[in-house]
Amino acid sequence: MTAMRRDLLLCGLFACVALFWPMISGMRYSITQTTFFFIWATVVVQWNLVFGIGGIFSLAQVAIFAIGAYVTAMLGYYLGTSMLLAMPAGAVVAVVASIILGIACLRLYGPYVALLTICVSQVLYVLIVNDTDCFTNPPAGCMPLMGGVRGFSRFGDLGFRDWLGAGFYVGNYYVGLLLLSAAILFSIMIIHSPMGLAFRALRDNPVYAAARGVDRFRYQLWIFGLSAFFTGLAGAFYAVNTGVVGPVVFSFQHLLFLLSMIIVGGIGTVWGPVIGAAVLMLADEAMRELGDFRDIGMGLILVACVVLMPRGLTGLFHDISTRLAKSSGTEGEKSCQR
Amino acid sequence: MDVLLQILASGLTLGAVYAISTVGLALVFGAMNMLNMSHGALMALGGYMAWFMVTGFGLPPVAGMLAAVLVCAAVGVLIYLLIAKPMLQSEGFETRIFIATIGFGAMLESVILMAFGPQPKPQPLAVQGGFSLAGVHLPIQNLLILVLSMLLMAALALLLQKSRIGRAIRATAQNRDAARLMGVRIGVVYALVLGISGGLAAISGITVSSLSSLLPNMGGDPMLKAFIICVVAGLGRVPGSVIAALFIGLFEAVVQYTIGVRFSFALLLLLVIVVLIWKPQGVFGRQQGVRL
Repeated sequence: MTAMRRDLLLCGLFACVALFWPMISGMRYSITQTTFFFIWATVVVQWNLVFGIGGIFSLAQVAIFAIGAYVTAMLGYYLGTSMLLAMPAGAVVAVVASIILGIACLRLYGPYVALLTICVSQVLYVLIVNDTDCFTNPPAGCMPLMGGVRGFSRFGDLGFRDWLGAGFYVGNYYVGLLLLSAAILFSIMIIHSPMGLAFRALRDNPVYAAARGVDRFRYQLWIFGLSAFFTGLAGAFYAVNTGVVGPVVFSFQHLLFLLSMIIVGGIGTVWGPVIGAAVLMLADEAMRELGDFRDIGMGLILVACVVLMPRGLTGLFHDISTRLAKSSGTEGEKSCQR
Repeated sequence: MDVLLQILASGLTLGAVYAISTVGLALVFGAMNMLNMSHGALMALGGYMAWFMVTGFGLPPVAGMLAAVLVCAAVGVLIYLLIAKPMLQSEGFETRIFIATIGFGAMLESVILMAFGPQPKPQPLAVQGGFSLAGVHLPIQNLLILVLSMLLMAALALLLQKSRIGRAIRATAQNRDAARLMGVRIGVVYALVLGISGGLAAISGITVSSLSSLLPNMGGDPMLKAFIICVVAGLGRVPGSVIAALFIGLFEAVVQYTIGVRFSFALLLLLVIVVLIWKPQGVFGRQQGVRL
């Protein structure tokens, strides 16, 4: 069985199990939290394409997510666009924004890319929060063009409220599941495609890859564009699911949370980000009671993971399984792939 | 004319404030290729420590400031021992240390938030009053910051250029392996550099908070601006970053006066993007060849 077949099978298996979760659990809280897990996992799976597979240390993914969310909310709020149309529109705008960022980062490497992208999302945040000029004047008070500090609310939903009544959150759950499954499928296809090979070649040895005719310019734009579509769509779905979009989506805590998922799970693997998202959601849930200690716990998890377990949980599993294989007598071949 | 002088005065003060934190960042990056994302939290820690020492223990201002510098320097050394040292030789150090210090900064910020609360506090180490010179209003605090910043830069330049340990730091920055072969104890240099950077962060935090007020997340914005300055100058270029800091301070003051405060950060970013596309190594950076 090839690695791609195995990943596709796992993806199908995961979707099947998740399909029945609302019937087993029945609790509203666990279902809405799982919907959030779908959203965050979608973002980190796509982030993994840029960071893990492409080796480009971009922190722009949060900004791209926020752009998807804001475009959807603004279309719904100002133009009354149906969410079914506004969500893809948000994703497309996110792709365009990401490609522009990709061009801006083209001549940079390593931490420079991280700095530039983090600055971009910070500037967007500052511009939105500091905007106090009224664009429209609804009854609730002054409304700046980008929503200001309050952000947008009541811009529409997917119509599950009319259709399913009080159980509308189950509808959102299945949309989230569809989103994550599509995102994982997309990421598997890219990782195992010739294009994924080119991305990894550029990551591992840019000069050699260039010498063999891999065009860095082209592939960097491809990877920024490809990874942005589902990120933007996840942002759009986040807007629809929560019903509120505010500047908090740009916040540093948010970035930290998502970055921790990808690091804890394992960079550059297909399933690492998904596992990381699940673990971090559970850890967050466990620390909910601790109040102020929650942020400290999150920071501690991130630092401990980077220092002690740089390849994340998937790397740890991999090491344990190879060690077990060795001790059971067979001279397992030394594996050092990431 | 008065307006021009006023802009010049506030721009230079801003630049002086930025220069203190920028130099700390540039020193660390130059010596060990490490972007310290917890610098902002260290600045907040310094500001709060000075506040705590002066209002809590009743220390005189200068002693309070020294205590804050010592605490932050100790935290800097701690960052080296706990976070940087274990991963120093590993692959992808630059990326991993960046992420780890983001986490550490978030932790430190939460600790400060828990210990001192979310309400803004006034910085006691601020001198009130001012005087007018040729129609320009100059607060004494701003002059103090300018003088302090100049003194610090001069002291740092002396340390780097004339002393034995300064030579060791510069040697390590130029070539880590060669320095080690010549008998430079790299670990000591790294710990020292992070300690100095922590101390500078404390002073920078005190100056920033004396112009506005103390908040647990006050370090975030100045840190990003300091990084922008570092990138404009070329990461790791210590003298260049001082000039760039003064320039950016003036630039920001001009933008704030002519276009408006809320666009100053966005325009700074635009500037950095232009610089990065025009000269990816920074204005004062050297073009580095790639060895295969």
